[in-house]
Amino acid sequence: MIGYTGRVTGKVGQGLVGEVMVHVPERVGSEAFLAYLAVPGEPLPVGTTVVVVEYQPPRTVFVASTSV
Amino acid sequence: MLIGIIAAAVAAVIVLIVLFKLCWRVAEPNEALIISGSRHRTEGVGEGLGFRVVTGRGTLVTPGIQAVRKLSLDLNEADLDVECVTSQGIPLQVKGVVIFKVGDDTVSIANAARRFLDQQKFMGQRVHNVFAGHLRSIVGGLTVEEMIRDRERLTGETRAASGSEMEKLGLIIDSLQIQEILDPTGYIKNLAAPHAAAVQRDARIAAAAADREATEAEQESFARKAEATRNSGIQQAGYQAEMDTAAARALQAGPLAEAAARQEVVVQETKVAELEGLRKEQQLQAEVRKPADARAYETRTKADADRDARISAAQAQAKETELKAAAEANRVKIAAVAEAEATKARGLASAEATRATGQAEAASAEAKGLAAAEAARALGLAEAEAIKARAAALAENQEAVVAQQLAENWPEIVRAGADAFGNVEHMVLLNGAEGMGEMFAKALTMGGTGLGLARQLLGSMAPGTGTAAGSAEPVPAAPAKPTAQSIPVQSDPTD
Repeated sequence: MIGYTGRVTGKVGQGLVGEVMVHVPERVGSEAFLAYLAVPGEPLPVGTTVVVVEYQPPRTVFVASTSV
Repeated sequence: MLIGIIAAAVAAVIVLIVLFKLCWRVAEPNEALIISGSRHRTEGVGEGLGFRVVTGRGTLVTPGIQAVRKLSLDLNEADLDVECVTSQGIPLQVKGVVIFKVGDDTVSIANAARRFLDQQKFMGQRVHNVFAGHLRSIVGGLTVEEMIRDRERLTGETRAASGSEMEKLGLIIDSLQIQEILDPTGYIKNLAAPHAAAVQRDARIAAAAADREATEAEQESFARKAEATRNSGIQQAGYQAEMDTAAARALQAGPLAEAAARQEVVVQETKVAELEGLRKEQQLQAEVRKPADARAYETRTKADADRDARISAAQAQAKETELKAAAEANRVKIAAVAEAEATKARGLASAEATRATGQAEAASAEAKGLAAAEAARALGLAEAEAIKARAAALAENQEAVVAQQLAENWPEIVRAGADAFGNVEHMVLLNGAEGMGEMFAKALTMGGTGLGLARQLLGSMAPGTGTAAGSAEPVPAAPAKPTAQSIPVQSDPTD
């Protein structure tokens, strides 16, 4: 899971549980994951492209913005 | 025998197929096979769970030893109908729907399998309960306005609150929809009323404006149409006029051409006439004017010559006269000098003579004067005597004195009577020479009349001493008849 990229569908921020859609090649589809900020800082608004930095099974990921 | 062998083979194949069918299980795309009954190692699921999860492929199972159960991975939905109270204490009824499914990863499938494998039908109920609790707490922290205006926040908070719980259940939320927020107290409706009114007002304004604009556009369009019609009409009229003009011109082309030709002819004729005139003028110049000029020149020259000759002659005459006059003057001067000399001599002689004469005359005059004085003295004495005598006589006989005076002055009287006729230029006498004599007699009678008058005057002055009038008539003209005063005199009308 780590290194996969996805898109924010629910705002991710400090103290917020966001939602990202990440493409998972093993299961041939995109799935929704609960997302937290991997690096504290600016909240990521809906539509931001992110990369999965850490994965906590089954459905929690820590993401960072790809543009940083 | 052969048939028996074939049949046995077929039967064996069929048995094999049936056995295979009994042992081979295939997972549909929307389901997961949960195989339990033997030790398995499953990725992501810790050891000791003792079941195997198969998705999307077939697998061999041992009938009687392993149990195969199916877990649907289909979409499920749970209708939410939650009575809750906002932070303002307003009761609301929130209606929504949660769409969820079992997660695709093995861990989620395992979690869900352990919780819902026999209760898949109640999955919705469980989820509803989870969400109802969370919704109540979330709505309790929001106001109505926030709920209405910020649905994203509602879903976000719901996800945050329920995410980990759903994770435990092995479920993922595909969608959470708040469909309706009902408020029995009518709060939302009242909240919306001002906005609704404003919107209604704006809508009416917009409609009115749009109507006005449409009307304006329509009217402008009508005006444009009218303008276009007018322009078209004008253009048509213009073209018609041009056509008419062209037609008229075409109609007039014949006469015009004729007129043009005639004009050309006239022009040519005029030119001919001009040339003719020019020629005549030239001819006149040559025949009349040049000779006339020559003659005039000749005359003028002759006149000039004559004048010069006359001037010369006059000058000569003047000179001659001048010389003559000078000579005459000289001569006269000499003569005058001579005359003067002579006169002077004569004068001297005359003076001498005059002096001598004067002296002689003076002596004679002295003698004369003395004689005259003596005579005058004697005369004066005599006159004085005479006057004295006359005065005495007058005192005695006034009448006689007057008669004598009259007699003495008779000639003057007669002259005065004749003067009356002196001013008459023409006199016509009707009775001839006799008349003439009569008239003169009458004129002279006037003197007699004057005498009569004088006598009357004297009588009136001295009535005591006066004698009776007419006692003595010494004047011969006295008996003149007074009736002769009417003299028929006809004067000349031209006078």
